[in-house]
Amino acid sequence: MESQKSAAAGFWVAASFGAGQDVGRSCILVSIGGKNIMLDCGMHMGYNDDRRFPDFSYITQNGRLTEFLDCVIISHFHLDHCGALPYMSEMVGYDGPIYMTHPTKAICPILLEDFRKITVDKKGETNFFTSQMIKDCMKKVVPLNLHQTVQVDEELEIKAYYAGHVLGAAMVQIKVGSESVVYTGDYNMTPDRHLGAAWIDKCRPDLLISESTYATTIRDSKRCRERDFLKKVHETVERGGKVLIPVFALGRAQELCILLETFWERMNLKAPIYFSTGLTEKANHYYKLFITWTNQKIRKTFVQRNMFEFKHIKAFDRSYADNPGPMVVFATPGMLHAGQSLLIFKKWAGNEKNMVIMPGYCVQGTVGHKILNGQKKLEMEGRATLDVKLQVEYMSFSAHADAKGIMQLIRMAEPRNMLLVHGEAKKMEFLKDKIEQEFSISCYMPANGETTSIVTNPSVPVDISLNLLKREMALGGPLPDAKRPRTMHGTLIMKDNSLRLVSPEQALKELGLSEHQLRFTCRVQLHDPHSDNDTLGRIYTHLKSVLKTYSIQHVPDGTVIVESIVIKVTSSAEEPNLKVILLSWSYQDEELGSFLSTLLKKGLPS
Amino acid sequence: MGISSLKARYKDLHVFQLEHPTKVIEWTGDKNICVAGYTGSRSEILELLLPLKLYAGENQGLCAERDFKVQHGGFSEEPIESLIHISGTRCVVTSGSSSSTLQIWDIGGDDSDVIKRTGVINLKSTSVKGCKIAPGLTDEPAVLHGSCISEVQLTEIATGRVLYTVAKESSDSVSGLQFVNACVFLICASDGTLFMGDTRDPSTCHYPLEDSKSGLHWAFGLRSDSSQSEPSGCTVARLSSSGHMLLSDLRNLQSPFCQTQLNVQHDASKNDFLNVSWAPVLDRCLSVSGFDGTVHIYNTINWSTEGQSPQPVFSHRGHEMSDEAKYSGSPPVVTTHSWHQSRPKTILSVATDGSLHVWDWVDKITDR
Repeated sequence: MESQKSAAAGFWVAASFGAGQDVGRSCILVSIGGKNIMLDCGMHMGYNDDRRFPDFSYITQNGRLTEFLDCVIISHFHLDHCGALPYMSEMVGYDGPIYMTHPTKAICPILLEDFRKITVDKKGETNFFTSQMIKDCMKKVVPLNLHQTVQVDEELEIKAYYAGHVLGAAMVQIKVGSESVVYTGDYNMTPDRHLGAAWIDKCRPDLLISESTYATTIRDSKRCRERDFLKKVHETVERGGKVLIPVFALGRAQELCILLETFWERMNLKAPIYFSTGLTEKANHYYKLFITWTNQKIRKTFVQRNMFEFKHIKAFDRSYADNPGPMVVFATPGMLHAGQSLLIFKKWAGNEKNMVIMPGYCVQGTVGHKILNGQKKLEMEGRATLDVKLQVEYMSFSAHADAKGIMQLIRMAEPRNMLLVHGEAKKMEFLKDKIEQEFSISCYMPANGETTSIVTNPSVPVDISLNLLKREMALGGPLPDAKRPRTMHGTLIMKDNSLRLVSPEQALKELGLSEHQLRFTCRVQLHDPHSDNDTLGRIYTHLKSVLKTYSIQHVPDGTVIVESIVIKVTSSAEEPNLKVILLSWSYQDEELGSFLSTLLKKGLPS
Repeated sequence: MGISSLKARYKDLHVFQLEHPTKVIEWTGDKNICVAGYTGSRSEILELLLPLKLYAGENQGLCAERDFKVQHGGFSEEPIESLIHISGTRCVVTSGSSSSTLQIWDIGGDDSDVIKRTGVINLKSTSVKGCKIAPGLTDEPAVLHGSCISEVQLTEIATGRVLYTVAKESSDSVSGLQFVNACVFLICASDGTLFMGDTRDPSTCHYPLEDSKSGLHWAFGLRSDSSQSEPSGCTVARLSSSGHMLLSDLRNLQSPFCQTQLNVQHDASKNDFLNVSWAPVLDRCLSVSGFDGTVHIYNTINWSTEGQSPQPVFSHRGHEMSDEAKYSGSPPVVTTHSWHQSRPKTILSVATDGSLHVWDWVDKITDR
């Protein structure tokens, strides 16, 4: 039985994600081994209506999703990966398990609540999840540890790997039987100041799903970007200006804090740096709690002093915004759409000595988005206009994998197939070719909403009886080799969830059946003027010359035997030259028997 | 490097790491360059879009795009020694170190990001250093090519027809060649001899060096007022692997009007990467690389009056100073560099370790 190539086995993947580079929402459905898994459940930040949620009608037209999904897995706390989770679980309806790492579980609800507040309270939206819904949703969460296999049910198991990118971000391996898929979420292959680089073992999944937002990018070195950032901050502070850096509660802010702290220390700078109150405590609390998720260097230095308790960075008080002289302030929220960062911005916008550094993408409609588009006059509440005279800088510090990083990850995991999400197909054909050529694997790039089918070659483990093994070995030939399939004969018994390969005799015995032998007989007429014996002899010689590798015997009792095939020659007294060649063979030698009868019908050479 | 010292020296500095090092940088558009691998048997040709931040002008702060984008890519079966772009088309021609053909490629447009090979030009022989190539400047795309003087010919790309051959029995190897205008071209041999020819005239004139030292390898750089110049407006710089520099007027190639010795290390094994280029915007500035991991910029205006070795106006040491360079056994060597076509002081440089730098230096004298 050839064990490798079985009938079409495989799984399908449907991806729903946003178009374009920075904006997007991730939500991927995988159906594998009869199990349905949802990977991430993101919110599309660019839309204000229902388009921001993934379209769950892919799964079912009406009703709850519980019976259609075996589990939901969330890779990290960014809203484009988890923003629609409460909507999905509480408003559409899902009661099954939701898996995420411990840090993600701790931080997700904070970001979701922040986001909910702004959307509902500030913008007055109605079709949105409530605070209670966020709480109810989080009750369904089962936390994951790194490298720990979690049994979702008897057949489905998952395992989380370190992804870098943000605190608690994970890549997840999903396994059903011998088929597996790895989903990367967002990841980073180069370590930064507070997080390590993504890592996975040579798990050889059937499919690796990777984001490819930066796949066609060759990124500027981190040192250059940091140098630029520090240069801008330093220049502003030197001329007595104030620098505002709007940030999200957790994420790259910590990275920038460590960077500034180190710089201030080295340059012996005196200007104060502030961090929004509440934020510092929360951030510190989480980084302390999840210290194992930060990088090696931080863990080492943490013993001597807490990397997140800064010497030069102090808690902010809103009255400080009016203090004269230079300062740097980190304040939330990140898009300048409300809260403290917007208040500070309003105070400082009129002075051209000041600077605001936007560290990430801003949703349309926010002040951040407007000033990044170069708007110099902003309309505030009560018809007041604000002149934007301060310097506006956009510096992206997001940590994603570029083309080189994707290739590194593929080298690490050795997948059999590759699937890229988040990119534009026609701009990625070269990368697809590169991956296919370098690794000899198929690379898929589905469009939003498209389903991709992956065919796998699962290996089916089968026990082989000792008897059969010995028999096969006795036949000679090369030893069994995993890379070289070889045909063998046996009987497969599938009983009680086990697969056994035994000899046919043993199978019959076990089943209590008696063996039947099938023999075929065929008569071939031939004109031959010799005696019966001589004709037989001529047949023997002819067959010997044609069938060089077979065992052919001319037995004195008047038969020629080829393998199990018996050949006899008879003739009648009336017509002694009309010979009747009798061929008889057993079912196992059907092919050879047919061949011989056809051969002899053509007659004998003279 | 500390922030303060960098601030004083660079207006802009962007550092990138290519997956594979390149020895070619060729402009295919205002904002696009082509690079190609030379270290593996299978090499990638990439068309890259320069970081948009460089072009944002006053709004530079608002532009986050500081990365190169791979716009088109293709695969070559051989390491690529030279790559040229045919102006006005999406066609590039490459020469490699292992085949006896020149490869013709279509970089592609918006509908696909794959660079496809569209044809070949057969050569008389294979050269390990690759055949030297230069684009023709006529309307009909053509390429001037040759690895030794007697084999130099002008071939029409579309038809493969040989339009012109150099009628010179010389087996000297070619270091570089370039068209001055549609008909007049220059060839620099490895020993420093210059040949000037005209495709309308079968004979070529040659101008050997007065004082030719053996063992030296020469490269040349042509400065012209426009792409269709008359010889009167052109200057040729010749650089030897020992740092000897000759400047000649095209009207009088026999006698260089300026000779000087640059203060550089001589290493015969690095002849491959010698590069001398004239700045397209800055008056009489030229740049030199290939001796080590540095690019030097010189202002030649005062050269004839200076007795001793001229001092560079600026030296870019970034390739030597990278972390990778510090830990590796052999320091990287700059394989080639190229001036930005419109930004006066912006240069792109690449090195043997795959690093790609885009930098804009501060001129201590004029930029205060």
